[in-house]
Amino acid sequence: MAAQLFFAALCSGALYALVALGLNLVYGTLRLLNIAHGDLAMIGAYVAFVAFSTFGLAPPVSMVLAAGLCAAMGWALYAGIFRRLFATPETAQRLEANSLILFYGVSVILQNVMALGFTSTARGYSYMGEVWRIGPVMASGNRLLMLGTALAICLGVLLVLRFHAFGWSLRAVIERREAAGIVGVNVDRVQGITIALGFAIAGVAGVLVSMTEQITPFMGFPLTIAAFVVIVLGGLGNIFAGIVAGFVLGFVETFGIALTSATYRSILIYGLFVTVLLLRPQGLFGKAIQVR
Amino acid sequence: MISPSLAAVSEPRPLLSVEKLEAGYGRVQILRGISLSIAAGTVTALVGPNGAGKTTLMKAIAGMIPARSGQIRFDGRDILAMPSYQRVESGIALVPEGRLIFARLSVEQNLRLGAVVPHARSKADQTLAEIYERFPRLAERRNQVAGSMSGGEQQMLALGRGLMSQPRLILLDEPTLGLAPIMVARVFEVIAELRQAGFTILLSEQNSHLALGACDYAYLIENGSIHLQGTGADLAGNDEVQRLYMGR
Ligand SMILES: Nc1ncnc2c1ncn2[C@@H]1O[C@H](COP(=O)(O)OP(=O)(O)OP(=O)(O)O)[C@@H](O)[C@H]1O
Ligand SMILES: [Mg+2]
Repeated sequence: MAAQLFFAALCSGALYALVALGLNLVYGTLRLLNIAHGDLAMIGAYVAFVAFSTFGLAPPVSMVLAAGLCAAMGWALYAGIFRRLFATPETAQRLEANSLILFYGVSVILQNVMALGFTSTARGYSYMGEVWRIGPVMASGNRLLMLGTALAICLGVLLVLRFHAFGWSLRAVIERREAAGIVGVNVDRVQGITIALGFAIAGVAGVLVSMTEQITPFMGFPLTIAAFVVIVLGGLGNIFAGIVAGFVLGFVETFGIALTSATYRSILIYGLFVTVLLLRPQGLFGKAIQVR
Repeated sequence: MISPSLAAVSEPRPLLSVEKLEAGYGRVQILRGISLSIAAGTVTALVGPNGAGKTTLMKAIAGMIPARSGQIRFDGRDILAMPSYQRVESGIALVPEGRLIFARLSVEQNLRLGAVVPHARSKADQTLAEIYERFPRLAERRNQVAGSMSGGEQQMLALGRGLMSQPRLILLDEPTLGLAPIMVARVFEVIAELRQAGFTILLSEQNSHLALGACDYAYLIENGSIHLQGTGADLAGNDEVQRLYMGR
């Protein structure tokens, strides 16, 4: 029983970590609060649904399609709007101050367009639903696929950050954008690639959700909230801690519900959020560092 | 020891030349037609009161802020339209006022980030070893979080990070700001060593006395334009400079 719960917590933790990863990358590099982040996952979920039910394409294929589509949206947004605004400090500041409203607009548009196209009826399909017994745990194939994919992407991003020159540049931009340029980082390119990457990750996360849950045009909002809770837990812009925090949230939620009841879900999530904000505003793992 | 490529040193034309440069922040103009030139292998000092525009000039040369008009040529090439990362690639390193180190990263990560440009990346290990040799303090603290170091150590780190990009021109903006006298002396020692190694340095300094003593050539900048120029000794001997900036 405990093992089964552990597995469930691991699965939801991995998903939270993945959704939050995309949000954290975009926030970290561009300082933009993308409250349409969950809606990008929703788009990914519909890509998977249409691909599966209309074209008979399996979710692993849809992951590539959704990633490509969302990355293209991110890049278009950057090249079309953000790049010009980031060019001068004054407009960049204005953009950062108004990003919440801008992305709220994006969110409303995405939700309504999808509601028009697909109605608000919940949709679903069944893929790799057969259940496997792994030791004491019963696991459906699609959950294993979700877990594996989410872990692989998180790990991949961490490896790039650690070992690849692009990852270093990305860290420089996250840590201190104005200093990144003077050490030789092409900040514009890093920002464009990162927003595309962050959006793509959201799209893939949506595909993963669609394998195990019903989807609607309004499924994005709770994902956005969960992602925000996670990146605040981990410390804004702290990529590794954000991933760990995703698992913390998954475990607190799963075990919390098992010990109480499902009605406590929101209380658990927001309770954790508020407690951390009060006690450790720099995030669960952040060190308060003074800059001299 | 660290030294820039020798090709540039023997050239007759100035390594950096700035002409009628105008720049500022938003609609506010700060630099009002600055012209200066820096010979390869020399230390050039930039002195002047607070708010004169020394930092603004450094930022414009490094590409942190755009220029309105004028010219900046580095090694004969027009760099005015280049984004800052390309200026780093072509050999300009800014060690900024306030240091702007990556406070949450370790000392070594900060240094390695200094070598993100392709030509420096391939030699990063070697340059790093040289910098550790020059600044043993940084070697001792290589795994420490940069933000927890003392002001003087952070200044050395900022300088080391600049050196990691294998620059030919180093823009040193207020490197002694807030440092204890012993560290100030150490900074000037390092400047002399770097000059010896063949680097070209543009130094902005509040401490006019020290700066004029350490430089080959100097510019007095006031209110966004050049008021006086000459050798360090010329300026140090100038009545106005003595009265206003050297407290005599
Ligand atoms: N980011 C900014 N936005 C607007 N104005 C600025 C900004 N930075 C500097 N200034 C203004 O530009 C002018 C020149 O500043 P600058 O920092 O270049 O002076 P400085 O010569 O380096 O002075 P100090 O010796 O104090 O370092 C000042 O009047 C300052 O108020
Ligand atoms: Mg200054």
